[in-house]
Amino acid sequence: MNFGEGLTPEAIAFGLFTILTIGGAFGVVTTRNLVRGAIWLIVSLFGIAGFFVLLSAPFLASVQVLVYIGAIGILFSFAVMLTRGMTNLKERFNSQWWLAGLAALTAFLLLMMGVVIPVFGNTIAPVSDQVTSTVDLGVALVSGNQYVLPFEVASLLLTAAMIGAIVIAREDD
Amino acid sequence: MTIPALGDLNLYVALPAIFLALFTTFLLIIDLFIAQEHKNNTAYLALGALAVAFVWNLLTFNNNTTAFLGMFVADSFSGFLNMIVLIGAMLTILLSMDYLRRMGIEQGEYYSMVLFSTAGMMFMGSANNLIVIFIALELLSIPLYVMAAIRHQDVKSEESGIKYFILGAFASAFFVYGAALIYGATGTTNLPAIFTAVGEIVNTGSDSIFYLVAGSALIIVALGFKVAVVPFHMWTPDVYEGAPTPLTAFMSVGGKAGGFAALLRVMVVALPALTVQSGDAATVWQLTLAVIAALTMILGNVVAISQTNIKRMLAYSSIAHAGYILMAVAAAGTAGVSDAATRGMLVYLLSYTFTNLGAFAIVITLEKEDGTGTAIEDFVGLGRSRPMLAMMMAFFMFSLTGVPATAGFIGKFLVFGASIEAGLVWLAVIGVLTSVFSAYYYVRIIVNMYLRDTDKPSEIVGETQFVKYATYISFTAVLVLGLFPALALNLLGGAQITLASLF
Amino acid sequence: MGVPLWMYLTVAAALFSIGIYGVLARRNAVAVLMGIELMLNAVNLNLIAFWRYQTPFNMSGQAFAAFVLVVAAAEVAVGLAIIIAVYRNRQSVEVEDVDMLKG
Repeated sequence: MNFGEGLTPEAIAFGLFTILTIGGAFGVVTTRNLVRGAIWLIVSLFGIAGFFVLLSAPFLASVQVLVYIGAIGILFSFAVMLTRGMTNLKERFNSQWWLAGLAALTAFLLLMMGVVIPVFGNTIAPVSDQVTSTVDLGVALVSGNQYVLPFEVASLLLTAAMIGAIVIAREDD
Repeated sequence: MTIPALGDLNLYVALPAIFLALFTTFLLIIDLFIAQEHKNNTAYLALGALAVAFVWNLLTFNNNTTAFLGMFVADSFSGFLNMIVLIGAMLTILLSMDYLRRMGIEQGEYYSMVLFSTAGMMFMGSANNLIVIFIALELLSIPLYVMAAIRHQDVKSEESGIKYFILGAFASAFFVYGAALIYGATGTTNLPAIFTAVGEIVNTGSDSIFYLVAGSALIIVALGFKVAVVPFHMWTPDVYEGAPTPLTAFMSVGGKAGGFAALLRVMVVALPALTVQSGDAATVWQLTLAVIAALTMILGNVVAISQTNIKRMLAYSSIAHAGYILMAVAAAGTAGVSDAATRGMLVYLLSYTFTNLGAFAIVITLEKEDGTGTAIEDFVGLGRSRPMLAMMMAFFMFSLTGVPATAGFIGKFLVFGASIEAGLVWLAVIGVLTSVFSAYYYVRIIVNMYLRDTDKPSEIVGETQFVKYATYISFTAVLVLGLFPALALNLLGGAQITLASLF
Repeated sequence: MGVPLWMYLTVAAALFSIGIYGVLARRNAVAVLMGIELMLNAVNLNLIAFWRYQTPFNMSGQAFAAFVLVVAAAEVAVGLAIIIAVYRNRQSVEVEDVDMLKG
């Protein structure tokens, strides 16, 4: 982001989504009320969807909204409501919260060193604005020379997860 | 974009895994029509499917070819690994059948979950792409979480399930972050293509090497959690103790096989060129893995001594064994040793599968419906009351120690040999010393069985037909592998386990 | 496009670290699971940023992100099922003893 050229609309959007994502994430890990936690999670995930739009991946952005906000967010809300006592947690953190904070901080610093150094200050724009389309993604997922194997294995995974969730959560008969 | 014809996919070599996956989904439906009192039929069907996949796997063994145009590899490594996980799954089902009924937790879905997990392990062994490895890792793990928590009434089982789930999901997030970084550095998720790109990055001294180091570190952490090596082992004893015993056996064997397969594929196929400086013989991660292996062997064996519950003891023992197997992965980091190390790892996994499942079979025999009967004290006097059972248990303990003429010895021999060949002599020395040390707690079981006597030897409640079969099969296999190791070695030997030949 | 790659990667690293904190520090299993979701989202942000800036003509980044989404959904379903089952037994889902840092 080159501030010398003034704030482009993109930079403003980026800043906004960053606030949503990171702010939401802080909300998730600190709130006492898990109903609010679920809403913070949705805010954070919405910020991610915004990034996807900025990064010209509109299909994934819509899937993000549908699956994460539509399904996973709701699932969390249900879980919170099915289990009482989630709206006013007496103790938010376990006894090692400071150690956890230290671990998270270390992880962040290490990741910054490993991830950001290679491209820091590198303002090269993306290769082209003409990126692959949703059609290409759809073809890639089912085309034999690309991702049909993980696609099929993922379908097995979803079946296993669905059956497994039912097996665990059903009342004993 | 052209879509290739079905024939180009070379599905033939992937058929054992595909068959198992398809059959599992059918089994879910068939199971609905099987009455609760006849759930053994579901188990028979599952056993039959595993046997078919096993034979099919032998037929396609050693093809050294790829399917799905490079996504899926069938080589002698994956063939042998498939054998191990299929044997493990068959023995697990034998152990589960009566146990589940006895404990009142028999559900047809359990067997489907075992098959789903097994299919995941098979895809894992053959995965040639980070995406496939990730999905297979999940397909392997999610059924294990479910099965760990399947004992509704038991708080311990539920806790085991939630603990295993949280740590497993946490580890998966690390894995996939690492995979994303490797993708960022190389622009691809295909392992051989990553290999090429890594070579270029190292040669040109590009900054992307930071991504690779961070990415491979995250992947080591993640898979370290999955196979339970120090310092990522803490969940193991609690999860192993709380989960239904046959499942504990399956986790300790199948979960390890899958995790190590992924580690070996990523490290040996994709990242061998990742060196500190060009000209440096050792790869960046070799020393890391060697140190982790040493710590794991030491800690696992030391803590195992103080355990009073056999399931917890076997959990720490499984941590220690993960250290020995990791030793083979570290040795594979030296160019030229990777074949020998891979072979060592596979033989070790095979012998560990039989030995550990055999030991757990005996534990199941002793375990009572209320969950007691698994203390080490419960073995007292077994030598007199049940000589045959005690003899087999003693034999399994010897094999876990690595006494010559048992299967465990062959595995250790090959792994230590590879480690010395790779120049990691100190690691091999630690391995030998900790093996000797481990005899202390394994032999304690034998002492309890033969040298101590009691008026009331524990009652044997779980010695049912199928558990007996599993015990005898494991016992025979440990004996045969120990006396005629050439059998396993020939199967491996004619074929080179050359991961490197893939590209 | 005015935003350079490293900024996306920084946001992703921050999100991942906050997720780690959530997993390690929270007592409540549902909150722990939310932390894991944050971590997986950080991964997806990484994948899409790398894809856009480095290999926009190759679908692997987007496809990978789609698979991560699938896995996240599967994990949440199974995880919440286990949590509800635990709650039924104990009337609480505090996971103080699910304690990764001590052992």
